[in-house]
Amino acid sequence: MSENARPNAPKNTPNKGKPAAGKATAAKSAAAKPASGKSGGKKPPQRKNALTERQTPWGTIAFFTVIGLVAAVAIGFAFTQARSSADGAKIAGLVSKEETNRDHVQTSVKYDSTPPMGGAHDPLWQNCGVYTSALRNENAVHALEHGAVWITYRPDLPKDQVVKLSAKVGATAYTLLSPYPGLDTPVALSAWGKQLKVQSANDKRVDEFLRAFVQGPQTQEPGAACTGGKATP
Amino acid sequence: MTALPETEAEPEPGATASGPPRGRRTIIILVAAVVAVAAALAVWTQRSGKPAAEGPEAGFARDMSVHHAQAVEMSFIVRDRTQDKPVRLLAYDIINTQRAQIGMMTAWLDGWGLPKADPAGPMRWMGHGGHGGTSLPADGSMPGMATPAQLAELGRASGRQAETLYLRLMIAHHRGGVSMAEAVLGRTGNAQVTRLARTMVEGQQAEITLMERMLGERGAPAV
Repeated sequence: MSENARPNAPKNTPNKGKPAAGKATAAKSAAAKPASGKSGGKKPPQRKNALTERQTPWGTIAFFTVIGLVAAVAIGFAFTQARSSADGAKIAGLVSKEETNRDHVQTSVKYDSTPPMGGAHDPLWQNCGVYTSALRNENAVHALEHGAVWITYRPDLPKDQVVKLSAKVGATAYTLLSPYPGLDTPVALSAWGKQLKVQSANDKRVDEFLRAFVQGPQTQEPGAACTGGKATP
Repeated sequence: MTALPETEAEPEPGATASGPPRGRRTIIILVAAVVAVAAALAVWTQRSGKPAAEGPEAGFARDMSVHHAQAVEMSFIVRDRTQDKPVRLLAYDIINTQRAQIGMMTAWLDGWGLPKADPAGPMRWMGHGGHGGTSLPADGSMPGMATPAQLAELGRASGRQAETLYLRLMIAHHRGGVSMAEAVLGRTGNAQVTRLARTMVEGQQAEITLMERMLGERGAPAV
Protein backbone atom coordinates (compact mmCIF):
# COMPACT_ATOMS: atom_id res chain seq x y z
CA MET A 1 0.00 0.00 0.00
CA SER A 2 2.75 2.42 0.85
CA GLU A 3 4.43 1.45 -2.40
CA ASN A 4 1.39 2.68 -4.19
CA ALA A 5 0.96 5.86 -2.21
CA ARG A 6 4.57 7.00 -2.42
CA PRO A 7 4.67 8.03 -6.09
CA ASN A 8 1.59 10.14 -5.48
CA ALA A 9 3.06 12.38 -2.86
CA PRO A 10 5.66 14.18 -5.01
CA LYS A 11 3.01 14.79 -7.60
CA ASN A 12 0.88 16.44 -4.98
CA THR A 13 3.45 18.77 -3.50
CA PRO A 14 4.29 20.93 -6.50
CA ASN A 15 0.70 20.98 -7.74
CA LYS A 16 -0.93 24.07 -6.38
CA GLY A 17 -3.62 24.39 -9.05
CA LYS A 18 -6.89 22.96 -7.85
CA PRO A 19 -7.90 20.98 -10.93
CA ALA A 20 -4.58 19.08 -10.96
CA ALA A 21 -4.66 18.45 -7.22
CA GLY A 22 -8.17 17.20 -7.48
CA LYS A 23 -7.19 14.70 -10.13
CA ALA A 24 -4.24 13.40 -8.12
CA THR A 25 -6.14 13.02 -4.88
CA ALA A 26 -8.97 11.29 -6.62
CA ALA A 27 -6.56 8.72 -8.02
CA LYS A 28 -4.93 8.35 -4.66
CA SER A 29 -7.99 7.87 -2.56
CA ALA A 30 -9.06 5.19 -5.00
CA ALA A 31 -5.81 3.34 -4.46
CA ALA A 32 -5.84 3.75 -0.71
CA LYS A 33 -9.45 2.83 -0.09
CA PRO A 34 -9.42 -0.96 -0.37
CA ALA A 35 -6.81 -1.31 2.40
CA SER A 36 -8.21 1.17 4.90
CA GLY A 37 -11.83 0.83 4.08
CA LYS A 38 -13.11 0.72 7.68
CA SER A 39 -11.61 3.90 9.09
CA GLY A 40 -12.94 5.98 6.24
CA GLY A 41 -11.47 9.08 4.60
CA LYS A 42 -9.60 10.62 7.54
CA LYS A 43 -6.53 8.43 7.19
CA PRO A 44 -4.99 9.35 3.82
CA PRO A 45 -3.96 12.94 4.69
CA GLN A 46 -2.26 11.69 7.87
CA ARG A 47 -0.37 9.05 6.01
CA LYS A 48 0.78 11.64 3.51
CA ASN A 49 2.20 13.69 6.38
CA ALA A 50 4.23 10.79 7.65
CA LEU A 51 5.60 10.16 4.19
CA THR A 52 6.67 13.73 3.46
CA GLU A 53 8.44 13.75 6.80
CA ARG A 54 10.45 10.74 5.76
CA GLN A 55 11.37 12.34 2.46
CA THR A 56 12.64 15.69 3.81
CA PRO A 57 14.29 15.34 7.26
CA TRP A 58 13.10 18.70 8.58
CA GLY A 59 13.77 17.69 12.16
CA THR A 60 17.41 16.89 11.44
CA ILE A 61 17.84 20.08 9.42
CA ALA A 62 16.34 22.16 12.21
CA PHE A 63 18.48 20.42 14.81
CA PHE A 64 21.78 21.05 13.04
CA THR A 65 20.82 24.58 12.03
CA VAL A 66 20.11 25.50 15.65
CA ILE A 67 23.37 23.85 16.78
CA GLY A 68 25.26 25.73 14.08
CA LEU A 69 23.70 29.08 14.96
CA VAL A 70 24.35 28.61 18.67
CA ALA A 71 27.98 27.84 17.88
CA ALA A 72 28.25 30.91 15.63
CA VAL A 73 26.74 33.16 18.29
CA ALA A 74 29.01 31.71 20.97
CA ILE A 75 32.15 32.15 18.87
CA GLY A 76 31.13 35.68 17.93
CA PHE A 77 30.49 36.49 21.57
CA ALA A 78 33.84 35.07 22.68
CA PHE A 79 35.57 37.10 19.97
CA THR A 80 33.91 40.33 21.14
CA GLN A 81 34.90 39.61 24.73
CA ALA A 82 38.50 38.96 23.75
CA ARG A 83 38.63 42.21 21.81
CA SER A 84 37.39 44.29 24.72
CA SER A 85 39.67 42.64 27.25
CA ALA A 86 42.99 43.99 28.41
CA ASP A 87 45.24 42.07 26.05
CA GLY A 88 48.35 44.03 25.20
CA ALA A 89 50.20 41.23 23.41
CA LYS A 90 48.68 42.19 20.05
CA ILE A 91 49.87 45.82 20.05
CA ALA A 92 52.08 46.30 16.97
CA GLY A 93 55.62 47.37 17.82
CA LEU A 94 55.38 46.46 21.51
CA VAL A 95 58.75 45.68 23.08
CA SER A 96 58.75 43.26 26.01
CA LYS A 97 61.71 42.63 28.25
CA GLU A 98 62.25 40.52 31.35
CA GLU A 99 63.07 42.94 34.17
CA THR A 100 64.15 40.97 37.23
CA ASN A 101 66.14 43.51 39.23
CA ARG A 102 63.89 45.24 41.75
CA ASP A 103 66.57 46.47 44.15
CA HIS A 104 66.12 49.74 46.01
CA VAL A 105 69.22 51.88 45.58
CA GLN A 106 70.08 55.45 46.58
CA THR A 107 72.68 55.81 43.82
CA SER A 108 72.07 56.57 40.17
CA VAL A 109 71.41 53.56 37.94
CA LYS A 110 72.64 52.88 34.42
CA TYR A 111 69.62 51.54 32.54
CA ASP A 112 69.97 49.63 29.27
CA SER A 113 66.90 51.09 27.59
CA THR A 114 65.85 54.69 27.00
CA PRO A 115 63.61 55.53 28.74
CA PRO A 116 64.09 52.75 31.31
CA MET A 117 61.33 50.14 31.55
CA GLY A 118 62.34 48.44 34.80
CA GLY A 119 65.32 47.58 36.97
CA ALA A 120 66.83 48.79 40.25
CA HIS A 121 65.28 52.02 41.51
CA ASP A 122 65.08 54.68 44.20
CA PRO A 123 63.18 53.81 47.41
CA LEU A 124 60.90 56.80 46.76
CA TRP A 125 58.44 56.36 43.91
CA GLN A 126 57.44 59.23 41.63
CA ASN A 127 53.81 60.31 42.12
CA CYS A 128 51.55 59.91 39.12
CA GLY A 129 50.50 63.04 37.26
CA VAL A 130 51.61 65.59 34.66
CA TYR A 131 55.15 67.01 34.84
CA THR A 132 56.53 69.69 32.56
CA SER A 133 60.21 68.97 33.23
CA ALA A 134 62.22 65.78 33.06
CA LEU A 135 61.97 63.24 35.89
CA ARG A 136 64.71 61.27 37.57
CA ASN A 137 64.74 57.77 36.02
CA GLU A 138 65.26 56.05 39.38
CA ASN A 139 62.03 57.47 40.86
CA ALA A 140 59.94 56.94 37.72
CA VAL A 141 61.00 53.28 37.49
CA HIS A 142 59.67 52.76 41.01
CA ALA A 143 56.26 54.03 39.80
CA LEU A 144 56.40 51.46 36.97
CA GLU A 145 56.90 48.77 39.60
CA HIS A 146 53.62 49.94 41.19
CA GLY A 147 51.72 49.44 37.92
CA ALA A 148 52.00 52.94 36.43
CA VAL A 149 52.49 53.77 32.75
CA TRP A 150 55.07 56.50 32.13
CA ILE A 151 54.46 58.54 28.98
CA THR A 152 57.52 60.44 27.84
CA TYR A 153 57.86 62.83 24.92
CA ARG A 154 60.68 64.52 23.06
CA PRO A 155 60.78 68.19 24.09
CA ASP A 156 60.09 69.25 20.46
CA LEU A 157 56.71 67.46 20.39
CA PRO A 158 54.07 69.86 18.95
CA LYS A 159 52.24 71.77 21.66
CA ASP A 160 48.79 70.43 20.75
CA GLN A 161 50.03 66.87 21.24
CA VAL A 162 51.50 67.76 24.64
CA VAL A 163 48.13 69.26 25.61
CA LYS A 164 46.35 66.11 24.45
CA LEU A 165 48.68 63.83 26.44
CA SER A 166 48.36 66.06 29.52
CA ALA A 167 44.56 65.82 29.43
CA LYS A 168 44.77 62.05 29.04
CA VAL A 169 47.22 61.58 31.92
CA GLY A 170 45.29 64.03 34.10
CA ALA A 171 42.13 61.94 33.68
CA THR A 172 43.71 58.48 33.91
CA ALA A 173 44.90 57.10 37.24
CA TYR A 174 48.31 55.42 37.43
CA THR A 175 49.88 57.38 34.58
CA LEU A 176 52.75 59.90 34.48
CA LEU A 177 53.77 62.33 31.76
CA SER A 178 57.10 64.06 31.39
CA PRO A 179 59.40 65.40 28.67
CA TYR A 180 62.46 63.24 28.00
CA PRO A 181 65.39 65.00 26.30
CA GLY A 182 67.22 62.79 23.81
CA LEU A 183 64.28 60.44 23.18
CA ASP A 184 64.65 58.70 19.81
CA THR A 185 60.93 58.97 18.91
CA PRO A 186 58.42 61.78 19.56
CA VAL A 187 56.51 59.72 22.15
CA ALA A 188 57.35 56.62 24.20
CA LEU A 189 55.13 54.67 26.60
CA SER A 190 56.74 52.54 29.29
CA ALA A 191 55.39 50.06 31.80
CA TRP A 192 57.41 47.51 33.80
CA GLY A 193 59.06 45.37 31.09
CA LYS A 194 56.85 46.84 28.33
CA GLN A 195 57.55 49.67 25.92
CA LEU A 196 56.00 51.20 22.82
CA LYS A 197 57.48 54.02 20.75
CA VAL A 198 55.16 56.00 18.49
CA GLN A 199 55.54 58.96 16.14
CA SER A 200 52.50 60.86 17.38
CA ALA A 201 50.32 61.32 20.45
CA ASN A 202 47.36 60.65 18.16
CA ASP A 203 48.46 57.07 17.46
CA LYS A 204 45.58 54.80 18.53
CA ARG A 205 48.05 52.41 20.12
CA VAL A 206 48.50 54.96 22.95
CA ASP A 207 45.05 54.10 24.30
CA GLU A 208 45.59 50.39 23.61
CA PHE A 209 48.81 50.49 25.66
CA LEU A 210 47.07 52.29 28.54
CA ARG A 211 44.15 49.84 28.56
CA ALA A 212 46.53 46.91 28.59
CA PHE A 213 49.20 48.04 31.04
CA VAL A 214 47.83 50.61 33.52
CA GLN A 215 47.90 48.36 36.62
CA GLY A 216 48.18 45.54 34.08
CA PRO A 217 49.46 41.99 34.47
CA GLN A 218 53.09 43.21 34.41
CA THR A 219 52.54 45.10 37.70
CA GLN A 220 55.13 43.99 40.26
CA GLU A 221 53.25 45.26 43.33
CA PRO A 222 49.50 45.13 42.65
CA GLY A 223 47.65 47.57 44.88
CA ALA A 224 50.68 49.76 45.57
CA ALA A 225 50.08 53.51 45.52
CA CYS A 226 50.96 56.09 42.91
CA THR A 227 50.57 58.93 45.41
CA GLY A 228 52.37 59.73 48.65
CA GLY A 229 55.81 59.49 47.00
CA LYS A 230 57.91 62.10 45.24
CA ALA A 231 55.68 64.98 44.08
CA THR A 232 58.23 67.10 42.23
CA PRO A 233 60.57 66.30 39.29
CA MET B 1 -19.41 4.41 -0.36
CA THR B 2 -20.64 7.06 2.04
CA ALA B 3 -17.03 7.69 2.89
CA LEU B 4 -16.10 8.56 -0.68
CA PRO B 5 -17.50 12.12 -0.81
CA GLU B 6 -15.58 12.80 2.38
CA THR B 7 -12.27 11.54 1.05
CA GLU B 8 -12.68 13.58 -2.08
CA ALA B 9 -13.51 16.70 -0.14
CA GLU B 10 -10.92 16.36 2.59
CA PRO B 11 -7.62 15.66 0.82
CA GLU B 12 -7.92 18.82 -1.27
CA PRO B 13 -7.21 21.26 1.61
CA GLY B 14 -5.17 18.48 3.23
CA ALA B 15 -2.80 18.33 0.27
CA THR B 16 -1.93 22.01 0.50
CA ALA B 17 -1.60 21.85 4.29
CA SER B 18 0.72 18.83 4.36
CA GLY B 19 3.12 20.03 1.63
CA PRO B 20 4.79 23.49 1.73
CA PRO B 21 3.30 24.72 5.07
CA ARG B 22 5.21 21.97 6.85
CA GLY B 23 8.51 23.54 5.77
CA ARG B 24 7.24 26.97 6.65
CA ARG B 25 6.25 25.81 10.11
CA THR B 26 9.69 24.30 10.64
CA ILE B 27 11.31 27.58 9.64
CA ILE B 28 9.10 29.46 12.09
CA ILE B 29 10.06 27.04 14.87
CA LEU B 30 13.69 27.37 13.88
CA VAL B 31 13.65 31.16 13.95
CA ALA B 32 11.86 31.08 17.30
CA ALA B 33 14.53 28.71 18.67
CA VAL B 34 17.36 30.97 17.48
CA VAL B 35 15.71 34.05 18.97
CA ALA B 36 15.20 32.21 22.25
CA VAL B 37 18.84 31.10 22.32
CA ALA B 38 20.09 34.63 21.53
CA ALA B 39 17.84 36.13 24.21
CA ALA B 40 18.97 33.55 26.76
CA LEU B 41 22.62 34.31 25.92
CA ALA B 42 22.04 38.04 26.26
CA VAL B 43 20.37 37.61 29.63
CA TRP B 44 23.09 35.23 30.74
CA THR B 45 25.90 37.64 29.85
CA GLN B 46 24.04 40.45 31.61
CA ARG B 47 23.57 38.54 34.83
CA SER B 48 26.38 36.03 35.03
CA GLY B 49 29.08 38.49 36.04
CA LYS B 50 30.91 39.20 32.83
CA PRO B 51 30.23 42.92 32.47
CA ALA B 52 31.34 44.89 29.43
CA ALA B 53 34.43 47.11 29.31
CA GLU B 54 32.25 50.18 28.85
CA GLY B 55 29.44 49.09 31.16
CA PRO B 56 28.39 50.64 34.49
CA GLU B 57 30.00 47.89 36.60
CA ALA B 58 33.48 48.32 35.10
CA GLY B 59 33.15 52.12 35.00
CA PHE B 60 32.11 52.18 38.64
CA ALA B 61 34.96 49.85 39.68
CA ARG B 62 37.55 52.04 37.93
CA ASP B 63 36.19 55.43 39.00
CA MET B 64 35.35 54.48 42.57
CA SER B 65 38.89 53.11 42.96
CA VAL B 66 40.30 56.51 42.02
CA HIS B 67 37.77 58.24 44.27
CA HIS B 68 38.63 55.98 47.22
CA ALA B 69 42.37 56.45 46.62
CA GLN B 70 42.01 60.17 47.23
CA ALA B 71 40.13 59.57 50.50
CA VAL B 72 43.00 57.31 51.58
CA GLU B 73 45.54 59.96 50.60
CA MET B 74 43.73 62.73 52.52
CA SER B 75 43.41 60.49 55.57
CA PHE B 76 47.15 59.75 55.59
CA ILE B 77 47.86 63.48 55.33
CA VAL B 78 45.64 64.41 58.28
CA ARG B 79 47.17 61.71 60.45
CA ASP B 80 50.51 63.44 59.87
CA ARG B 81 49.05 66.87 60.64
CA THR B 82 47.22 66.36 63.95
CA GLN B 83 47.45 64.42 67.21
CA ASP B 84 43.68 64.60 67.80
CA LYS B 85 42.59 61.03 68.63
CA PRO B 86 39.01 61.01 67.21
CA VAL B 87 40.15 62.49 63.87
CA ARG B 88 43.14 60.13 63.65
CA LEU B 89 40.85 57.17 64.42
CA LEU B 90 38.35 58.22 61.74
CA ALA B 91 41.20 58.61 59.24
CA TYR B 92 42.57 55.18 60.21
CA ASP B 93 39.12 53.67 59.63
CA ILE B 94 38.70 55.34 56.23
CA ILE B 95 42.21 54.27 55.11
CA ASN B 96 41.59 50.62 55.91
CA THR B 97 38.01 50.42 54.63
CA GLN B 98 38.51 52.25 51.38
CA ARG B 99 41.90 50.67 50.63
CA ALA B 100 40.36 47.20 51.05
CA GLN B 101 37.43 48.16 48.85
CA ILE B 102 39.85 49.32 46.14
CA GLY B 103 41.30 45.81 46.31
CA MET B 104 37.85 44.26 45.88
CA MET B 105 37.02 46.43 42.88
CA THR B 106 40.42 45.76 41.31
CA ALA B 107 39.80 42.04 41.74
CA TRP B 108 36.47 42.37 39.92
CA LEU B 109 38.20 43.97 36.94
CA ASP B 110 40.88 41.25 37.04
CA GLY B 111 38.20 38.55 37.15
CA TRP B 112 36.27 40.14 34.31
CA GLY B 113 39.47 40.50 32.27
CA LEU B 114 38.79 44.21 31.78
CA PRO B 115 41.16 47.19 31.69
CA LYS B 116 41.89 49.09 34.91
CA ALA B 117 42.08 52.35 32.98
CA ASP B 118 39.79 54.06 30.52
CA PRO B 119 41.80 56.58 28.48
CA ALA B 120 38.51 57.97 27.15
CA GLY B 121 37.99 59.54 30.57
CA PRO B 122 36.13 58.92 33.82
CA MET B 123 32.43 58.97 34.63
CA ARG B 124 31.16 58.05 31.16
CA TRP B 125 29.17 55.17 32.66
CA MET B 126 27.10 57.64 34.70
CA GLY B 127 26.31 59.88 31.75
CA HIS B 128 26.27 63.63 31.99
CA GLY B 129 23.26 65.60 33.08
CA GLY B 130 22.96 63.81 36.40
CA HIS B 131 20.98 60.96 37.86
CA GLY B 132 18.68 60.97 40.85
CA GLY B 133 19.18 64.66 41.51
CA THR B 134 22.96 64.44 41.28
CA SER B 135 24.62 66.76 38.85
CA LEU B 136 28.07 65.84 37.65
CA PRO B 137 30.93 68.31 37.46
CA ALA B 138 30.94 69.83 33.98
CA ASP B 139 34.59 68.92 33.35
CA GLY B 140 33.82 65.19 33.56
CA SER B 141 35.67 64.76 36.85
CA MET B 142 34.22 62.81 39.74
CA PRO B 143 31.86 64.39 42.27
CA GLY B 144 33.33 65.35 45.62
CA MET B 145 36.99 65.12 44.63
CA ALA B 146 39.34 67.61 46.29
CA THR B 147 41.49 69.77 44.02
CA PRO B 148 45.30 69.50 44.09
CA ALA B 149 45.32 72.96 45.72
CA GLN B 150 43.03 71.73 48.52
CA LEU B 151 45.27 68.70 49.10
CA ALA B 152 48.31 70.97 49.28
CA GLU B 153 46.48 73.24 51.76
CA LEU B 154 45.68 70.23 53.95
CA GLY B 155 49.33 69.23 53.84
CA ARG B 156 50.38 72.66 55.13
CA ALA B 157 47.68 72.99 57.80
CA SER B 158 48.12 71.61 61.30
CA GLY B 159 46.18 70.94 64.51
CA ARG B 160 42.57 72.12 64.67
CA GLN B 161 42.83 73.83 61.25
CA ALA B 162 43.93 70.57 59.60
CA GLU B 163 41.15 68.65 61.38
CA THR B 164 38.33 70.95 60.26
CA LEU B 165 39.66 71.22 56.71
CA TYR B 166 39.92 67.43 56.54
CA LEU B 167 36.36 66.99 57.86
CA ARG B 168 34.96 69.52 55.38
CA LEU B 169 36.79 67.95 52.43
CA MET B 170 35.83 64.44 53.49
CA ILE B 171 32.13 65.30 53.94
CA ALA B 172 32.05 66.60 50.35
CA HIS B 173 34.07 63.57 49.21
CA HIS B 174 31.69 61.12 50.88
CA ARG B 175 28.63 62.89 49.42
CA GLY B 176 30.12 62.49 45.96
CA GLY B 177 30.94 58.87 46.69
CA VAL B 178 27.39 58.16 47.86
CA SER B 179 25.98 59.67 44.65
CA MET B 180 28.27 57.46 42.54
CA ALA B 181 27.31 54.33 44.51
CA GLU B 182 23.62 55.22 44.16
CA ALA B 183 24.13 55.71 40.43
CA VAL B 184 25.53 52.22 39.95
CA LEU B 185 22.75 50.72 42.06
CA GLY B 186 20.29 52.12 39.52
CA ARG B 187 22.26 50.66 36.61
CA THR B 188 23.29 47.12 37.53
CA GLY B 189 21.82 43.84 38.66
CA ASN B 190 25.25 42.37 39.43
CA ALA B 191 25.07 40.97 42.96
CA GLN B 192 28.73 41.66 43.90
CA VAL B 193 28.56 45.27 42.73
CA THR B 194 25.16 45.85 44.33
CA ARG B 195 26.31 44.50 47.68
CA LEU B 196 29.45 46.66 47.90
CA ALA B 197 27.73 49.79 46.54
CA ARG B 198 24.96 49.43 49.12
CA THR B 199 27.47 49.22 51.99
CA MET B 200 29.20 52.31 50.60
CA VAL B 201 25.94 54.29 50.58
CA GLU B 202 25.05 53.28 54.14
CA GLY B 203 28.57 53.42 55.60
CA GLN B 204 29.50 56.76 54.10
CA GLN B 205 26.17 58.34 55.00
CA ALA B 206 26.72 57.33 58.62
CA GLU B 207 30.22 58.81 58.50
CA ILE B 208 28.89 62.07 57.05
CA THR B 209 26.62 62.39 60.12
CA LEU B 210 29.59 61.62 62.38
CA MET B 211 31.84 64.16 60.64
CA GLU B 212 29.17 66.88 60.81
CA ARG B 213 28.98 66.33 64.56
CA MET B 214 32.79 66.40 64.83
CA LEU B 215 32.87 69.70 62.94
CA GLY B 216 30.37 71.16 65.44
CA GLU B 217 32.44 69.91 68.37
CA ARG B 218 35.40 71.83 66.92
CA GLY B 219 33.39 75.04 66.63
CA ALA B 220 33.42 74.92 62.82
CA PRO B 221 30.33 75.67 60.70
CA ALA B 222 28.51 72.78 59.06
CA VAL B 223 28.92 72.13 55.34
